[in-house]
Amino acid sequence: MATEQQTGTGGGDDEQPLGLTVASGAVAAAVVVPLLWLVKTALEVGFAEALALVTRPTTVEVFLNSAVLVTLVTAACIGLGVPLAYLTVRTDLPFRRFWTVVVSLPLVIPSYIGAFAFVSAFGPRGAFQRLLAPLGVESLPEIYGLPGAVLVLTLYTYPYVFITTRAALKSMDTTLIDAARTLNHTRWESFKRVTVPQIRPAVAAGSLLTALYVLSDFGTPAIMKFDAFTRVIYVEFGTFGRDTATLLSLQLIAVTLLILTLESQIRGDERTTTGGRSGSPMPLGKWKYPALGFAALVATVALLVPLGILFTWLAQGVAATSGSLAFQPEYALNSVLVAAATAGAATLAGLPVAYLAARHPSRLSSVFERATYVGYAVPGVVLGLALVYFGSSYATPIYQTLYLLVFAYVIRFLPQAIGSLRASFLRVDPALPEAARTLGETPSGAFRHVTLPLVAPGLFGGAALVFLTTMKELPATLLLRPSGFSTLVTHIWTAYEQGYFGQAVVPAFILLFVSGLSMLVIITQEGYDVK
Amino acid sequence: MQERDRELRGHSRRRFIATTAALGVGALAGCTGGDEETETTTESGTGGEVEQIGSGRSPFGDRDISGGVSVAEMPDLSGELTLYSGRGKALVGELISFFEEYYDDFTIRPRYNSATELVNQIQTEGQNSPADVFFSVNAGSLGALKDAGRTQDLPSEVLDLVRDEFHDPDGQWTGTSGRARTVPFNTDQFDESGIPDDIMAFPDTEAFRDNIGWAPTYSSFQAFITAMRVLEGEEATREWLQGMQDLGVTEYNDEFLVSQAVADGEIGAGFANHYYIQRILAGRPNAPLSTAFTAGDAGSIFNVAGALVLDTADDSELASNFVRHLLSAEAQDYFARTTFEYPLVSGVDPIGELPGIDELSPPEGLDLTQLSDLEGTVELLREVGVL
Repeated sequence: MATEQQTGTGGGDDEQPLGLTVASGAVAAAVVVPLLWLVKTALEVGFAEALALVTRPTTVEVFLNSAVLVTLVTAACIGLGVPLAYLTVRTDLPFRRFWTVVVSLPLVIPSYIGAFAFVSAFGPRGAFQRLLAPLGVESLPEIYGLPGAVLVLTLYTYPYVFITTRAALKSMDTTLIDAARTLNHTRWESFKRVTVPQIRPAVAAGSLLTALYVLSDFGTPAIMKFDAFTRVIYVEFGTFGRDTATLLSLQLIAVTLLILTLESQIRGDERTTTGGRSGSPMPLGKWKYPALGFAALVATVALLVPLGILFTWLAQGVAATSGSLAFQPEYALNSVLVAAATAGAATLAGLPVAYLAARHPSRLSSVFERATYVGYAVPGVVLGLALVYFGSSYATPIYQTLYLLVFAYVIRFLPQAIGSLRASFLRVDPALPEAARTLGETPSGAFRHVTLPLVAPGLFGGAALVFLTTMKELPATLLLRPSGFSTLVTHIWTAYEQGYFGQAVVPAFILLFVSGLSMLVIITQEGYDVK
Repeated sequence: MQERDRELRGHSRRRFIATTAALGVGALAGCTGGDEETETTTESGTGGEVEQIGSGRSPFGDRDISGGVSVAEMPDLSGELTLYSGRGKALVGELISFFEEYYDDFTIRPRYNSATELVNQIQTEGQNSPADVFFSVNAGSLGALKDAGRTQDLPSEVLDLVRDEFHDPDGQWTGTSGRARTVPFNTDQFDESGIPDDIMAFPDTEAFRDNIGWAPTYSSFQAFITAMRVLEGEEATREWLQGMQDLGVTEYNDEFLVSQAVADGEIGAGFANHYYIQRILAGRPNAPLSTAFTAGDAGSIFNVAGALVLDTADDSELASNFVRHLLSAEAQDYFARTTFEYPLVSGVDPIGELPGIDELSPPEGLDLTQLSDLEGTVELLREVGVL
C-alpha cells in the first residue's frame, strides 16, 4: 500500500486530511471485503484445473470478443449521450425537462429484457418481420451477433454518459464560451476548446461506467448469441460449477483492474475549474426539428420497442393469468424504498471517497476510489453469492433483511455515485472554498455552503444513476431479499419467467412511470442553486 | 386469435429457451430461471369441490380425484418451514396458501428463484442455510445437492408414494410431478399402430419422409437427445440425428408449434412433451391429434420436478411431511390442472386423454439427474448440423 503522505502529480494540494482518508478507506474496505469470498471459493478449484480453465483457447477468444464489444458500445454511448446531454442542457430544445426524463429512462430497463424484446421484434420471424411480410420484405438484417449486442447495450447504457455529462454541463460556467465566442471562435471551436475540456472528466466517468457494465453483463450477449466472456462464467454456474465460475469472475475482476489502471493513466490533467454561471441557452434555429427528432428517435427505439412487445403480449395473452401473480401496489413502494435508500447511502458513502480523490490526489486516495469499482464489475449473481456467504456466516441477524440487500446494492452501484461526484469536485475552483474560509467559515462550513452547492448537479446526477439502476437490479435481489419481499422487477421476472407475459406488462409500465417521476424529482432538486 | 397468442408466446419463449439451451446452461443470470417450460395457463372458472385446490378447472370437464392419498390422511403440519422454491410463485403460490390455510399453526416462508441459483445459494450458505425444503423444476438440481451431501434420507412413507424410477435410488429426493416425451400424431394420417414403438426405428420409417417435425433448440428435446446418448451411445445418436435429417425433418421453434403443425395436418407426426398436445386439445377438442408413446427408450423418458429435505432442516419430520403433502391427491391434482403435468401418484389421473402413470414405460436404469447436462448434446447437434 502506498505511503500516506504521498502526493500525486497533478495535485499540488497540501497534506492528506486524516479523518477524510480514514473515512474513505473505510468505505473502500467495506465494499471490497465481501469480495474476498471469491478468492476463498476460487482457491477451492484445483491448481491444474484452474490453470487449464484460465488459459484455454476459447478464453482468449471470448476475451477479445468482449474487448471489441466494450469498445464499440462505449464509443456509441458517447456518441448518443453527449449530444443528448448538450441538447437538453445547453440549447433551447423544446420540452427539455421532458426529454431529460425520457432519455434517462432506458437505464431502468434491464438490458436483457431489452435484448429479448429486440429479438422478438426484429428477429428472423419476429413481430416486425411479420408486419412487413405482406409488403414483400423477405428478411431483415441480422439482429444476432455483434451488431445486435452493440445496439441493445448502447440503447440501455448510454444514459450513464448522458447523466454524468449533463451534470457537468449543468454546472459549467458558460461565460467562458461567450468569452471564446467574442474572441472570434466559431461555435464548434469554442465547443472543442472550452466545453470539451470542461466536461471531459464527466464523460470519462460515464464511459467507464458503461464499459464496466458491458464487460460484466451477461444476459444481452447471451440473447444476442454473441460469445462474450461472461458466457463462460454462466455456463459454469448453470452446470453447478460454482467454484470455477468464481475463479473466472476473478479473471473478470483482473480485466476490470486493468481497465481502471489504463483509465487512470490516460486521465491526464483533469483539473478544470468553474464558477458555475450560465447564460442563455444556445438557440437551435433550423436544427430544432432534427434535434427533436434525434431525441425522439432514441427514446422511441429504446423505450417503445420493449413496451410495444410487452403490450402485444398483454393484448393477446389475456387468458394467461395466474391468481398468485396479481399486482400489488406494495411492489412499487418496495422498489422505490430500497432504491431511494441505496441512492442515499451510496451518495453518503461516495462523498469522502470522491472528495479525497478529487481534492487530494495521491496514490492512496486513488486506490480507495478505484477499489470501489471492483464490486461494480462483478456480475450480480457472483456479488449476490459473496454476500450470501458473508451474511449467512458472519452477519446472521441481517441476512435476508433489507439492510444486507441495500448494502449489496451499495457495493454494486457505489462507483456510479463516486464517478459523478468526483467529476463535479474536480470542477470546483479551490479558490472558492478558500475564499469562504478567509471570510470566517469553518472548513465544514465552507464545504457545506460553497462546495456542496457547486457539486449539487453531480451529486444528484450520481444519486439518480444509483436510484435508476437499483430499481432494475435483479440477480442480487433474488438472492438477498427477505422472504416474501417483492419489488417491481422481481415481480416482472416472476411473471415473465413463467410465461405470464401479460402480467409483466402492468408492473413494467409502473416501473417506467415511477422511475420517470423520481427522475423528475431529482432533476428539480439539482437545479436549486445553480441557475 | 387464441392461436396467434400462443404462437407469439411460444415463439418468444422459444427464443428464451433457445438461448439457455444453446449455452447448455440451466440458468442465465437472473433472467432465466426455471428453465424448463412447465408453468403456464390457468383458466379461471368456477370453484367448487372441497378438496380441489384453487379455482382452476380442467378444460376436459369435471375430474374425479378420489384416488391417491388425501391430505386428510397425512400427518398434520405445524410450525414454520422455509421453502426454497425453484418452481415459480405462479405455480406454487396457490398450493402454499392452501396448506397454510388448511392447518392453523403452519407457516411457510417461500423463497423463489431459479433452481440453479437456489442450489448455488444453499451451497454458499453452507451449514448456516435457513432452508428446510428445496423444491425444484428438474432432477438435475436435486441431484446436484445430493452430490454435495446436503440432503437427508426421505422416509419410506414419502418414497413409497411414487414409482421407483421417479425418486432417487438412495432416497434423497422424490419427484412430485412429471413430463413425458411423446409422439404427437395426426389421426387423419396415422393409426397409433403406425407409429413405431422404438424411437431408433424412426429414421427408417418411410411414412415420416418429409412428414415429421422437431424443435431442436428446445431444452426438453435436448434432454431427450442426452438420454439417447446415455442409452444408445454417441455414435448411434449421431446416426439417428443424421437419419432424421435425411428423412427431411422439419424444424420448428418449439414443441407447441410442432404439436400444432401436427394438428393442422402440416406434418403427420413429431416429437413433443405430452402437455403440448393436451394444451391444443383443450382449445380444439376435435383436432385430429393424438398421443403415441415409444417404449423403454430415449423417446419415452419421463423427467420430473421434485423436492428434497436439506441437511440443515430445523425439523426434519416437518420437512419430510411437507414433501409428503406435495404427493397428496390434492397437490397431485393441482399440478395436473395447473400445468397439465403428469401426477406421479397412481390413482390421480393426468389431464386429458392420456394413459395413467402406471401404464407408461420409461427406460430403466436412466439417471434423471444426467438429463440436465445439455452441453455435450448441443455440441453434437451442432456437429451434425441440426443447430
